Amino acid sequence: MTDDRVDSPSVVRRLSSVVWLPYDPRTAWLFLLPVMAVLAVVTVFPIVYSLYISFFSVKLTRPLRQPFVGFDNYLQVVQEELFWVAVSRTVIFTLVSVVAITVIALLIALLLDQAFRGRRLLGALLLVPWAIPSVANGLMWKWIYESHYGALNGLLLQVGAIDHALAWLGDPAKTLLLIANAFIWKEVPLATILILVTMKSIPADLYKAATVDGANRLQRFLHVTLPALKPGFMLVIVFMAMVAIRQFDLIFILTEGGPAYASHVMSWQIYVETFRNLSFGTGAALSYILAIATFALAYFIIRALGQRL
Amino acid sequence: MIKRAGAKQAAIGRRDFLRYSAAGLAGSAALGRAGSALAQSRPLEFYIWSAAVDLVKSHITGFEQKTGLKVNLSTAPWAQYRETLVTKFVGGAPLDALWVSDTWLPEWAEAGWLAPVGEFAQLTKYNADVEDFCVQSMTYNRQQYGITYYSDWMGFLYNEEILAKAGIAKPPETWDELTEQALKIKQAGLSQFPVLMSLAHETWLIEFMSAMVFSQGGRFTDDKGAAVMADPEKGAVKALSWVVDAVQKHKIVSPACVETGELAGLKAFGSGQFAFGLIPKFRVRTLNDPAQSQIPGKVKLMLMPRGAKGSHATVGWMRFYGLTAQARKDKARTAEAVQLMEWFGGKAENDYRFQKMLFIDVGAAFGVKSLFQDPDMRKAYQAFGDVDLIAKQQSLAMKKDVITPWFGEWNDVNGPAWQAAIVGKSTPQEALKRSADKWNELKKNA
Repeated sequence: MTDDRVDSPSVVRRLSSVVWLPYDPRTAWLFLLPVMAVLAVVTVFPIVYSLYISFFSVKLTRPLRQPFVGFDNYLQVVQEELFWVAVSRTVIFTLVSVVAITVIALLIALLLDQAFRGRRLLGALLLVPWAIPSVANGLMWKWIYESHYGALNGLLLQVGAIDHALAWLGDPAKTLLLIANAFIWKEVPLATILILVTMKSIPADLYKAATVDGANRLQRFLHVTLPALKPGFMLVIVFMAMVAIRQFDLIFILTEGGPAYASHVMSWQIYVETFRNLSFGTGAALSYILAIATFALAYFIIRALGQRL
Repeated sequence: MIKRAGAKQAAIGRRDFLRYSAAGLAGSAALGRAGSALAQSRPLEFYIWSAAVDLVKSHITGFEQKTGLKVNLSTAPWAQYRETLVTKFVGGAPLDALWVSDTWLPEWAEAGWLAPVGEFAQLTKYNADVEDFCVQSMTYNRQQYGITYYSDWMGFLYNEEILAKAGIAKPPETWDELTEQALKIKQAGLSQFPVLMSLAHETWLIEFMSAMVFSQGGRFTDDKGAAVMADPEKGAVKALSWVVDAVQKHKIVSPACVETGELAGLKAFGSGQFAFGLIPKFRVRTLNDPAQSQIPGKVKLMLMPRGAKGSHATVGWMRFYGLTAQARKDKARTAEAVQLMEWFGGKAENDYRFQKMLFIDVGAAFGVKSLFQDPDMRKAYQAFGDVDLIAKQQSLAMKKDVITPWFGEWNDVNGPAWQAAIVGKSTPQEALKRSADKWNELKKNA
């Protein structure tokens, strides 16, 4: 990869020699300036401003009294019992989701890596859940899980698997796993594509060499495929962990954090604190805690997997 | 007003002058109205949630024709209405009159965004003709903040056909009788869970809870606002204990009640699976509509079951027209906004025209007592059942007793606490103690 790497500035120089515009880094900055200005306004400013208000007691219903409180907002939120409930729910949801997504995506990628009739059609169908908007996905699963007239109970009753309608989202023991299931269903396609692309890049010579050395199919999978898939796994795990930790849409549509805090995850707590209680100070503090935790987790995963690449 | 018109004189051209002069000759009544129009510096900003928008627009047209004043109507979905309006208040967006839910009144009044309307006899003269709970629901710190838009209450419904099949001649009077009848229906195999409860943690939850607590003779708080919900003698513990027993012991209420929101409950009841249901009263119309329900004509309203020390009381809620503090700063604008509020919430040309349109066209109920005697309204109410029974239940409706500036934060603890008891993670006493503790903490810090 390094041998044939393209030297971008040299290409630009070569190209600029045949067109009227001479290459000039300052011109590049000039063209980038409008986009950077927009980004500064819509992205950088909100990030910096939210950090700023996390040090103030900002409650929208008390617009004239917003004193500086330093790190009190941060201390206040971590001292609440509900914060740790939210942390534990988030950890469970993330772990279950990421592990399941990675394993299922690997299995589907292995399948799609084989040559068989209808593989292209299957690949196209696989993308359907990913293409469904998050809110539509949530509403669909709400209808499936609904206990009185939902599709899941209807199906199970029709095939005789159950003799009466069961409570699904209403059972705290099942709630988080059912939401994770809806999340997994939507995210598996993207993970599959990422793993499949990595799989396709494994040189065939490695398999030939392993076969010559007497490795069977399982050994080739364990000693060639899996190690070679580490970059793909790293990407999937980091990306899905970040998406799972911040998952809000499904919680909002399916359970609103209930029943009895069974699905009260961090993103839900941030929503409640910020937009229901209108406490923007503590809401911003919670957001920063979540952001820092997400970055730390991503760093840890990249370090852990990256060292072995 | 004359002064404000005069201030703009320099900008008025010859044609404008002639046009205004011609308007001035158009009779005394029209003169007054046209004068208002000329004086209006900008249209009245009227904000509502997205409900009955066409009706509102048509009534605004009537107002504009009658008064010559212009009105800008803006809407936001109900689900985002509070956040939208709070953002507008904080940002200083122009707002004059708006729809307000009783739930937000203390918060908005404390923040100084709403202005009291007690000094406007034009609005308060209607109080005598309005249910007590409605006036109370528009009142905070002894100040009235609006005039009625619509109000309704939590009703107890039953499926007449299922009761008849079970050999039950009349619906239950008490919560104990309800348990007996539900068990009879369940044992007869007519319904797996005969009683529908919708106790998902959503905006309706407090209304469902309050209806049960009030009918048990209970309260969440006393007259001084102190938490009494954990007191076994005050009814909240009894109400929650009834639900817990109904789910866990008798199995007459589905354990899925904690995931069932009001709308899902409505659909479930309309599918004919339930014999009884705690449902907002205005839904009776939908449930008896052949186009929307599988059990049309079979759904009847009964008085709320009562507890041993209770009555048939239920909870009522209120949506009203409020006046913003921003409009109140300007005398002329205040007068115009009050005029608009009366046109909608009071009488328009000697008739509660908008309230009647709302009820007849979309079924939104009213808090005006005299409308129960109106022949058109009585006729329209036949879709709901016995008009006199409805009037009686309405007279027993009570204002929610937990509506405070800290209601939202308390409700985020109270709702899950009830749910925890229902799913067996705590006892009713523990749940309500947690709820009371949170109330006391928030009250102390307020």
